[in-house]
Amino acid sequence: MTTYASPIGSSLKRVDGPGKISGLEKYAADYYPDNCLWAGAKRSDHPHALIKKIDISPVRNLPGIFAVLTHEDIKGANRVGVPEMDQPVLADCKVRYKGDPVVLVLAENKTLLQEAIDKIIIKYEPLPAVFDPEAALAENAPLLHENRNNKNLLLGGKVIRGNSIAAMSECDAVVEADFQLPWQEHAYLETEAGVARVDEEGILEIIASTQTPWRDRNELAYALGWPVDKIRVIAPYLGGGFGGKDGITVQGLLGLAALHSGGRPVKMWNSREESFLSSTKRHPGQVHYELGCKNDGTLHALNCRIVLDTGAYASLGGPVLALAMEHAAGVYRIPHALIEGFSVYTNNPVGGAFRGFGAPQVLAGLEQVMDILADKIAWDPLAFRLKNAVMRGDETGAGVWMSNSTAIIPCLEKVQEHPLWTSRQTWVSQAPPYKLRGVGIAAGLQGTGYGPMVADIANAKIELLPDGRFRIYSGVADMGQGNNPTNVQIAAEVLGQTTDCFELIQPDTLQTLPSGSSAASRTTYSYGNALKAAALQLKERILTRACNMGMGLYAEDLLLSSGRLYHLPSRREITLGLVAASMRPEERISIYSYTAPVNRYPDKINPDIRAAGFPHRVFAFACHLARVQIDELTGEVEVCDYLAVTDAGKVLNPQLYEQQVQGGAVQGMGYALWEDFKLDRGELLTRNLATYILPTSMDVPDILSIAVETVEESGPFGMKGIGEIVINLALPAIANGIARAVGQHIFKSPLTAEQLLLILEMRPAK
Amino acid sequence: MSQVFLPHTLDELWTKKQENPAALIMAGGTDLLVKIRDRKLPPAVILGLENIAELRQIEQQDEEICIGSMVTHQQLLDSPIIQTQLPVLHQAVAVLGSPPIRHMGTIGGNICTASPAGDTLPPLYVLNAGLELKNAAASRLLLIKDFIRGPGQTLLSSNEILYKIRIPIPAPHSPGFYFKVGQRKALAISIISMACLLQLAEDNRILDGRFAWGSTGPTVMRFPEVENTLIGEKLSPIVLGKLGQSMAALVSPISDIRASAEYRRLLVSKLPLKIWQSHFSSLSAASGHGD
Amino acid sequence: MKIAFKLNGIRQEVDCLPDRRVVDLLREELGYTGTKEACGSGECGACTILVDGVSKLSCLMLAAQLQGRSITTSEGMSLGKKLHPIQQAFVDKGAVQCGFCSPGMLMATVDFLQRNPAPDRQQIRAALSGNLCRCTGYQKIIDAVERAAAEMRDEL
Repeated sequence: MTTYASPIGSSLKRVDGPGKISGLEKYAADYYPDNCLWAGAKRSDHPHALIKKIDISPVRNLPGIFAVLTHEDIKGANRVGVPEMDQPVLADCKVRYKGDPVVLVLAENKTLLQEAIDKIIIKYEPLPAVFDPEAALAENAPLLHENRNNKNLLLGGKVIRGNSIAAMSECDAVVEADFQLPWQEHAYLETEAGVARVDEEGILEIIASTQTPWRDRNELAYALGWPVDKIRVIAPYLGGGFGGKDGITVQGLLGLAALHSGGRPVKMWNSREESFLSSTKRHPGQVHYELGCKNDGTLHALNCRIVLDTGAYASLGGPVLALAMEHAAGVYRIPHALIEGFSVYTNNPVGGAFRGFGAPQVLAGLEQVMDILADKIAWDPLAFRLKNAVMRGDETGAGVWMSNSTAIIPCLEKVQEHPLWTSRQTWVSQAPPYKLRGVGIAAGLQGTGYGPMVADIANAKIELLPDGRFRIYSGVADMGQGNNPTNVQIAAEVLGQTTDCFELIQPDTLQTLPSGSSAASRTTYSYGNALKAAALQLKERILTRACNMGMGLYAEDLLLSSGRLYHLPSRREITLGLVAASMRPEERISIYSYTAPVNRYPDKINPDIRAAGFPHRVFAFACHLARVQIDELTGEVEVCDYLAVTDAGKVLNPQLYEQQVQGGAVQGMGYALWEDFKLDRGELLTRNLATYILPTSMDVPDILSIAVETVEESGPFGMKGIGEIVINLALPAIANGIARAVGQHIFKSPLTAEQLLLILEMRPAK
Repeated sequence: MSQVFLPHTLDELWTKKQENPAALIMAGGTDLLVKIRDRKLPPAVILGLENIAELRQIEQQDEEICIGSMVTHQQLLDSPIIQTQLPVLHQAVAVLGSPPIRHMGTIGGNICTASPAGDTLPPLYVLNAGLELKNAAASRLLLIKDFIRGPGQTLLSSNEILYKIRIPIPAPHSPGFYFKVGQRKALAISIISMACLLQLAEDNRILDGRFAWGSTGPTVMRFPEVENTLIGEKLSPIVLGKLGQSMAALVSPISDIRASAEYRRLLVSKLPLKIWQSHFSSLSAASGHGD
Repeated sequence: MKIAFKLNGIRQEVDCLPDRRVVDLLREELGYTGTKEACGSGECGACTILVDGVSKLSCLMLAAQLQGRSITTSEGMSLGKKLHPIQQAFVDKGAVQCGFCSPGMLMATVDFLQRNPAPDRQQIRAALSGNLCRCTGYQKIIDAVERAAAEMRDEL
């Protein structure tokens, strides 16, 4: 009898590794169908303008130009967006940001495509534009979207607990600060890409780099006016997503192109510059914090005001605001709080989903005022956090009930006992000449799923193949986080097989089942739960059938292991292939639908904020520590050491867990130190990777990762989602470290060398 | 569609140039092809120099080191001659671009692109590099400081190529340093760069000091009158600090997407201290002096 | 223009525009999509290939420059189904997440380990500094190169 090592808990190699490292795995950008046309958009060069005239006559009959399309060629509603459908596939009466697509060209090759796009003439009547959210909220601000009761306010609301105004005056110490958080570009390596074709039966088939294949299908049906059951969307492995492919990117234009290409396939692949221009970004924020505590270290009152610039279209600007408000009190008990949030339209590029989804913006502010407040009452910053950190059963200052696994205190304790923290004073005192050192920490959380009002459902399908191997029908796109390999690991665990017995079908609206977006830290949690149950169903069926075949009387006497079944009492064995061969096709397929639990309390929250996702139920927690060294001659900040202690439930695969921690921390460092997205009146100044600075391998340290393993009973094998918590804390941990080194906090990020040096220069001379 | 020619000899090159007077010369391609993609240059016939072997040599002669214009940055990094004789240049190519860019980019290309931020330029200025320019008929020699006139502007005629870089071998005991501040540690255009060549006596008295600055003005800048004030001074943080202040008052940096003029000027005032920070601070610690 | 060169050990003769970008020639004409494009301007390294064993950026190369050269891409590193030790190290050490940067990282590593078979981690970081990754934070890629270097030294 063969034995096998239990897959769950071991660092099994990702099954997608070999294909990707041999260059054989095909991403959406890698498809070059025969006879394909190239599609590209002519985009607005005004931030806000009426479209007076579109003149395509110079290009329509150029050689190699197959078609030139405008909004008039769109049969459907010409609107996409979730939850608010306010974004046109091709602009109709007006453009709302520099980058709004107006005309779609189909050409024989990329050169002719670009030449044609350049020749199209569009007459605009510029409108007054607004680029600042506060200005957009003002009385006579130019309106982006007509007929909206709330004008430029996409979503606004308050969370009120107790009476924070009165409570603030009861505090022994109060700190107030205003934080400015910048845009952040996803900058995935694979830019938005796809191919599309309408086949002989009128099926519009799209292969796209997308986090949302089923939602895309619904949106495309509505926007383009094509029957939903005649649209097929396939999501291969993505070359990165991080939220930037959460929704329609090129799919609308591709679908439109394919509906007008005479049956020829069409390809669209954004250049890096076009990706910068057209893709969504992390919402920039202006966050005001006022935090007060008593001398005994208890937090007492919080006032927080969050203003997010959601740009020209809604995208996920409502849910991001709701999550920001929910996370604004972090991991702390605060009896009195007023949290106010505004998500505002401007004529800037579109703010949308980006890993962290509002949490990075508020934790950046909260975790810095926590440090300032701790100093004010002469408390150690870590002890101050421990004093106020929630346990299971507590409510956070935002009124969110910690009903599920909550291990922020063990995370904080792990940092507290770690040499990187205990030796901090010695380390700081050993700063070399012309260098300043500081050690900073930050703590936080991240809710998983969609909140109380939007069902988080995953439908798993797994099949026993006639030869005894298995096929998993993946429902959730894999953008690199490894949910596909993890699915294999989960199924392998339940079915007692090695991972090489599994095939994977990538998400495909024709072959696999709707399972929600690859987002919100939910991919393994939700689909994994569904798959675990589906695999268990299948296993029971296999065991029962084996019994029927004479292997024994009771299913529980049978062991399923590595391609064989064993009757333990008698040592009889049979191959899985034989059992499979005896089963009808419909018996070999197992489907299971899983719906994630939600937090139905409190119900007194503003209904629009609630619908947008307040609150969540299952949270991941973390405490990060950064040791920073600043060069006094240049202002450059070096992160010398970085420790991430995470509570994401049980670790299913330590290597995969570390992949997320390391990658998220470095992406967070980029947000903290280098990624200075610059706009001037709606015009991108940082428009490519030469000017938008991502960290290279030489800029970042090794990340030390410690897992605090709680059991999250609702998660498959006790896990919780880890995808986003990992990015949330780099900025405040580094900012706190820098503040300790230079003696003051910096409220505008990124914390560039230029800012640092100018601040150092203004310090009083020693 | 554009023609691309990759001649194997200079004679072939001159012929092709004559047939295609508007052709663009391509060295490593890392600047040229990016400019064409960004539509800063129109598509044109391209004449690539990569197959002309005589442009790829590094030789040490009696008093000078000769570097062919098509020598790549990686070749410079790998060359024992450059490492031992011209460390200031070696340090600069070590922080230029990234490994694949160093495999493709050339010293000649860096010079003729004449970006104020070009990493090889400040070292070549402190080394008083001479440039041999050649056309079909003749050669001429120019000092690099005379060759580069402004951002992207050189005295290269349309029928000429940069043939060789001729660098006088520095005096013995001449430490050289290159410090670059970029927005990150690799793949970075310099915000400020500083090359320096010092001649020191045994007691660290300065016999000669040359400082060249990148990204501080339209071309690399040197301030001989300030350099002269160093002669006879003992190398110390105070001397270096004063030097920085003097030069900071003289540079004319711009504000651009990477940095403000104010930051650049501040960097100029402080960068000379990097010499102390990286190489001499152990001296200071040993002698018990603070900075 | 007719261009003759070797690609992953196999002789190729193509007829294409002389100024066709090598990354496009590889991906579109020849079907080798292992070499990726992520910026088109030399800033990211995703298009890294080996030209006569030296790592170069194929988005900044023209087809004419291939004449007589020997090109290696990620597809050419495996021997049939068996992964090259460097590829295997990437898989074993978890250095591949979304995988889009991985072929470029691989080719940069192949070049580097030829030059420096016994590097330390800082040298590895410098060697990969022309290849951007947005998923891994680089650490496991460094681990993989360290492992690959050790493997390849033992096999010598």
